[in-house]
Amino acid sequence: MTAQEVRLCGLLLREHFGEVVEKVGTHLLKGGAQNLRTIIHETGISLDLVKKSLCVLVQHGACVFRSGRKGAGSPTEYQTCCDRILRILRYPRYIYTAKTLYGDTGELIIEELLQRGHMTMSGTIKTVADRLTQNMEEGRSMDYSEVSSAFFRLVETHFLQRCPPLAGAEPKDSATPAAPSFPDCYKVPHVTLVGRGKRQLASEDGEDQRNAKKAKMDSQVGTHGDEGICWQVNFERFHLHFRDQAIISAVANKLDQTSSEIVRTMLRMSEVTTSPTATCTKPLSANEIFRSLPTSYNIPRPILDQYLTLLIDDPMEFVGKAGESGGGMYVVNMHRALANLARATLESVVQERFGSRSARIFRLLLRKRHLEQKQVEDFAMIPAKEAKDMLYTLLSQNLVQLQEIPKTPDYAPSRTFYLYTVNQLPTARMLLQNCYKTVANLVERRLFESKESKRLLEKSQRIEAILASLQASGAEPEQLTEVEEMITAPEKQQLEALRLHINKLDSAENQVDETIFLLESYINSTASTS
Amino acid sequence: MAGRGGGRGRRMMTFSVEAVGITRGDSLPPSIQQPTPLFPVMEQKPLPLTAGEEEEYLLALKQEFRGAMKSLPCFIQPTAAHRGQSSTHTHTHTHTQTSLTYTHTQTHTHFSFRFYYYYYYFTCFLCQTLQKKEEGQSSEDEEEEGEEKKKKQEEEEAEGEEEYDEEEFEEETDYVMSYFDNGEEFGGDSDDNMDEAIY
Repeated sequence: MTAQEVRLCGLLLREHFGEVVEKVGTHLLKGGAQNLRTIIHETGISLDLVKKSLCVLVQHGACVFRSGRKGAGSPTEYQTCCDRILRILRYPRYIYTAKTLYGDTGELIIEELLQRGHMTMSGTIKTVADRLTQNMEEGRSMDYSEVSSAFFRLVETHFLQRCPPLAGAEPKDSATPAAPSFPDCYKVPHVTLVGRGKRQLASEDGEDQRNAKKAKMDSQVGTHGDEGICWQVNFERFHLHFRDQAIISAVANKLDQTSSEIVRTMLRMSEVTTSPTATCTKPLSANEIFRSLPTSYNIPRPILDQYLTLLIDDPMEFVGKAGESGGGMYVVNMHRALANLARATLESVVQERFGSRSARIFRLLLRKRHLEQKQVEDFAMIPAKEAKDMLYTLLSQNLVQLQEIPKTPDYAPSRTFYLYTVNQLPTARMLLQNCYKTVANLVERRLFESKESKRLLEKSQRIEAILASLQASGAEPEQLTEVEEMITAPEKQQLEALRLHINKLDSAENQVDETIFLLESYINSTASTS
Repeated sequence: MAGRGGGRGRRMMTFSVEAVGITRGDSLPPSIQQPTPLFPVMEQKPLPLTAGEEEEYLLALKQEFRGAMKSLPCFIQPTAAHRGQSSTHTHTHTHTQTSLTYTHTQTHTHFSFRFYYYYYYFTCFLCQTLQKKEEGQSSEDEEEEGEEKKKKQEEEEAEGEEEYDEEEFEEETDYVMSYFDNGEEFGGDSDDNMDEAIY
């Protein structure tokens, strides 16, 4: 965990769980595995609060516990890692993806599980049904069976998984929580859950009261058949989906819509047969692809072959040919696609920060690996003085490295080759840390802006509350306008500007997270293949 | 005035020039007229953020999520230790030698509308920020149930660690509750003992 990651994790914990959890969490991040007594002693927080914070962290999967390293009988040790906490940035994207794939019901299921961390299936279904009922018109309510079927579909496609069974006895070597691959991971328990969602009304009519009483009795009895089986969101599956989306949209941008549909079909066909860490999909024959294309795309067979040839010849190497049988065997090169996407990101960063000519030098060095200064000037077709300036700027920002190749053992400057080079993987790591720092700065700035205008925000919130209560009690329009005028016009402008700034900062966080996802995927994919 | 050479010795400095290393004929850096800027000058301006329906929806999701988290029990207040367990949720945590079981039962559903208007959502988020400051827990009930539930709840929270004037803050208005009285209750009590005159 780098300093930037720890700082960002601290801010995310503070915003979502409060300052106490932030203190405990950052202490665990900086200090490694510790037992309860050490945490209490070093953070100075009371036992009760530390226990609660650890509960919250474990519930949300950010912290794991195991028996101490000093042997049996030593106190339990708790350990946190950054990755899980940094996922919080991506929650809106997960919820939105669930909405596009499974509609409002799926969206609410994912949102509930993200908010609670771990939850039983029956609890989730009830809460989601209530929320959906809330938004429907009077007299209509959402049936539990509909929500259940959406839940089943989410588990079938592995977007949800069971929480790993608690086996805190044996110490694990890995610092990060192990990916659950236990056999019952995706098995849905048999749950008896009959009913409809409840509406939260101040004045309840007879039917709702009867339902409420029945719900109370149910919860008192407490048997839905799935006690102790908690579910959590499977982030890895979402990441695979995002990766596929990135590849498809890259193909659509580079080539055209039809090519992206072909690649989408290929990825869909190999969803279940490809392991998450594979570098490319299993080979698919052109005949199979032709049969699986969506019927709305009436592409004749020869045209499909032409498209596949185009895809293979493209320098981005999204699709590769793996054989000739069955009309040609084709694979999607996932690792190479990710590497190319990361490379495009790096080039775009250099271009936006230093200008297009520096970007030209950067791309040149990426392609040609090692070049002397004179060669850089020649190939990039930039005058010597400016090329030297740009190279030195890139060097000082650590985007370009210098490799010395001596002719003599004494490294005399006149007898040494100095070659400029760009290493994609270390540069990607460096930019990833820059991204974390960016998001942390955005969060801090947003908190600062809110704090600056706290008085104004409080006033406007009070006015809103007065307005709401007056409207609820049926006041005349003159009273309402009188209350509304309590905020002056310049204050309204200030509030509007504040809202704009905060929305901009929030939106920027979301978009930096997209870059973070690309770079992280590339780094993880490279680490697992090498 | 004795130190100024006028037209002859223009470059007079308080330190000896040779000792620092500036030889004759070297060009000095330009003299500083104002403090250095706070941030380095940007040669290229950054691109604008992509703005579209999807981005706006993601933004709304993010802000709503943050607001909702503040009202959940996993948002731990520093003052929560004094209250002990609240009445609306139980979170039992039993630790045995080899296994940790924790049961988490929720009896409240939190209030969340998907189809908010932007601005209304924004103020609700602030609402919850401030309610957290005023009360600490179970704040979402206030918005749902209305005044009666609010009064009952505040009577329950009798720990008194936040000594605030209950009367004044009940409706989150600026006005003390007695402001809204219309005087009907005045003078209705002691009509029997007319010993003292009423002024």
